[in-house]
This record gives sequence, C-alpha cells and structure tokens, in this order.
Amino acid sequence: MSRIYPIGGGKGGTGKTVIAANLGALIAKQGKSVVLVDLDLGGSNLHTCLGMRNPRIGLNEFLNKTCKKLDQTVVSTAISNLFLVSSVNCSLEVANLFFAQKQKIIRAIQRLPYDYIFLDLAAGTNFNTIDFFLASNEGLFVFTPEPTSIENAARFIRTVYLRKVKQVLKQRAFLEIVREIIANMKDRNANVKSSDIIEALTEKDPAKGKLLLERLSAFRFKLILNQFEKKIDENLGEKIEKVCNRHFHSDFQFLGKVSYDEKVHDSVLSSRTYVTKYPYTVTALNLQNIVDKLIGKDQPVSDRYQRYHE
Amino acid sequence: MNKFEELNLYEILGIPLNASYFEIRQAYKEELSIYDEDSVISYSFFSDDERAEILKKIEEAFLTLMDEIKRGEYDRALVDAGIADVSILSKKGQKKPIPLFQMGRPAEYNALVKRVKKRVEEKDVTAISTEILSKEVISGNDLKRLRESIGITLEEVFEVARIRKSFLKAIEEDQFEELPPMVYLKSFLKSYAELLQVDVQKIVEGYIKNVPIDQEFGR
Repeated sequence: MSRIYPIGGGKGGTGKTVIAANLGALIAKQGKSVVLVDLDLGGSNLHTCLGMRNPRIGLNEFLNKTCKKLDQTVVSTAISNLFLVSSVNCSLEVANLFFAQKQKIIRAIQRLPYDYIFLDLAAGTNFNTIDFFLASNEGLFVFTPEPTSIENAARFIRTVYLRKVKQVLKQRAFLEIVREIIANMKDRNANVKSSDIIEALTEKDPAKGKLLLERLSAFRFKLILNQFEKKIDENLGEKIEKVCNRHFHSDFQFLGKVSYDEKVHDSVLSSRTYVTKYPYTVTALNLQNIVDKLIGKDQPVSDRYQRYHE
Repeated sequence: MNKFEELNLYEILGIPLNASYFEIRQAYKEELSIYDEDSVISYSFFSDDERAEILKKIEEAFLTLMDEIKRGEYDRALVDAGIADVSILSKKGQKKPIPLFQMGRPAEYNALVKRVKKRVEEKDVTAISTEILSKEVISGNDLKRLRESIGITLEEVFEVARIRKSFLKAIEEDQFEELPPMVYLKSFLKSYAELLQVDVQKIVEGYIKNVPIDQEFGR
C-alpha cells in the first residue's frame, strides 16, 4: 500500500510545491516509486518545478472521462521513479469541485500503485484543500517563520482538526448528540471549538468521546519549517510542535527546517529540481534530513494508512 | 478537557520532579518564549483569554516550585495522590550552581519586565508609599510592605532587577551583617526603588540611615 502525504500550508508562497517536487525527487532517488499529484487546482505549477513545459495529459482527462483510471494520466518526469499527475490542463472552473468529484479523485488517488504519493494542495482553508488533506491519515504541513505564515498555520491546523472531528462524528452518527450540544450552548454566537465538542461528547457519552479521541490521535501532522534564516529563533519548529502536541489530541512531529536559498529561484528557472541541480547545499541537506525522518520509520505501512471512508 | 489542563506543575514546565532551581528557572523562560505576549506562536494559536489563562498557570507553576515551602507542600500532595514517589520529598535541598546573571537576555525577558511594570503602574499604592517616603529612616520592613502591597514577589524582583534573593531578604529583614558592601547596597536599593517606581533618592538615603554606623563603616 502506498503512503499518501498531502502537503498543505495555510498561506500561499510558503513553498509547498517546491518542497513536494524536491522531497519527491529525493525519495525517487532511493529507488522508491513516487507520484506527485498537483491538486492546486486553478493554480498549478508543480510541472514547472519539475521542468516540464506542458504535460500532454493530466487530471482533466480523468475528470472528463477520457481516461478511465487516474493511473492512465500519470506522466513520467526527467527523474526516474518520479511521476506526475498534472492539473494544468484542467478547465478553468475546476477550482470549484463538486463534492462527488472530490470523492472520486480521493478514491482514485488511494488506488494509485506507487510507494509514495504526494498531494500538492492549494493555499488557504477551503473545503477542497481540507478534504484533500484529510484523504490520508497523515499530512505534511509547510510554513515559514513569517508571523503571518504562523498565524495561517495555526488556523489551518485548527480547521483540519475541526473537520476531522466532524468527519469522525459524521461517520459514527454522533451528529445528533453534537447538535444537541450546540443547541444547549450558552453563547449561541460563539464559534464552535473542537475542544468544546470533545468535552461535551465525553461528558455525555464517555465511550464515544474516547473513540473520537482515539481517531484524532491516529492523525499525524508533520511540520516543515521552510525558508529558515539564521536570525530566527532556532527552536521555533520544536516549540510549535510542543504547543500543538499539548493542546491538540493529534500527533505532531516537526520534521525539520529548510534553510532559505535564493538558488531555489534559479533552479525553477532552469527547469531542474533544486536537489538535482544543487545537491550539496545546506538546503539540500536539510531536505535530505527531512526525507530520512519521513521514510526512515520502521512502522508498518498499513498502520499509517487509513481509508477516507471506512 | 484540554491536555494542558491536566498537567501537573512539573509537567507544565516540562521538568523532572527533582529539578533544581536553575532548571525550573530555565524551563520557565522557555515556556515564556512560547506563551508570552510578544510570542508569535501563542499569538497565532490562542485567543487573548486563552493565553492569559495559560500564562497564569505557568506563573503559578513557577512561583510554587521556586518557593521551598510551597514546593514541599505541593510535592507532599503529589505523593499523597500517588503521582510521585516518596523519594522526591527527601531529594530536595540539593545544591546545584545557580547562575545569577545571564549575559544575553532573551526576548521573553522583556515581556516579563513589561508585565511586572504594568502591575506596578496599575496598582495604586500612593497612601502607603507617601507614608513610607515621609519617614526619616526607612526600614527593610517598610520596603517589604510596599512591595507586598503592590503584589510583587521576591522572585519577580530577582527576575527583573537581577538582585540575588539572599540580598533581597537581608535588605527586607534588616539582617545587616548579611548585606553586601555599601556601594552594591546603594545600587541594589536604587534598582529596587526603580522597580517599585518610588522616589529613588529617598529610599536609598532613608534605608542607609537605617543601617547601623559600625556596619556601614565596616564595609
């Protein structure tokens, strides 16, 4: 079974796409098959980071049923073992997917026969992004040291978390209970917080509360601090990991920081992935360390993988 | 039901049960760098109310564990609740080096200073301070009364003014033989008075009159 890593980041421009391309390239180099799926619909440029001008086939062919299987829309890249499903040819309205289409894509992705599948997602916290992020039981999260990026990171994590809570509740028909909880809330205008739901559910039905917590703690966020510069608190990533683990029930792991390098820009211009063009820079080393942490774990794959719909 | 709310004081600071005072202090600073008012992390993750609540807990943990007596009581409660082993009660009192001054003050230090200053400014203690400042001779007890009426602990005076706690105690309890040499004493009194935002000159002069002549010349 494949390991699926959606790559999200609350803010735009944090480097999700570049990270996706380079992590993919590094893992492919180790002989594993990797496919990158560009799900930044309406804003795709993963192909550019891989040095491809215009892939002849992509997600659009799957959506308009030219290709029956998503696997048929996969194209190879300049790097062996590294493949791409592009969304650059998609129609202009594709950014707003119907729920059924989204489900179809998620199910098709889960069937792709590759060792590693990376999903490059759009910025923001719209439903597309969040639902694709929850297609797997673990996700990569890319943020930069900018205060605005950290603020959006927090928002993204909270949104994913809340959606996860709701997802579990929906599957388990707990919704009735939750509706009751919300109806009984003192302050009707307050936003519903994940902790309120968890607390109220646990109080009302401890067994169900426990189940919810179990499902939440099975979800793993992996954090990457991108565009790191020396002047910044060097423990920023570890601190965020600590805060998240303390205040959410899911599992957070800080994978490491990636130093800022202006040559990333050059590498995109020259149509080559950064790690192939500059394999010995600090930044490339940072990326390699992240890959080691990501795939080095000996946990059985089946453990980490869970279907979107059980 | 948040995990954070279930943590005990040691867990809040992330330290072992037999942590030294130095470790407690370091851990406190580390926590402040995450949760304090000018931290980008806590700004993003928590509302102001949530953050204030968390900070209050961290401060409570710090002030309890830094106080030998309170810590002893707390440890006993932990043992009684079956959370800690009896052995932690006897391990206390081990001396470890405590660095008094840190050269590069971390950013969170400023936030701490700001918080203490804010408290001093908000508390109206004009009555008691005029009473004390009108005195010819100011005793250590006067200073202590003033500090306590503002609601600042010795620990906080140490954190902000960087005056060793044993000296602060000696000053407040009029233990003249324990006082530092005059030149230091004056400077400590000055920082102390500045922290409490009262007339520096009057405090220094008033207190020195309180110190017996032979002590003064002996130094």
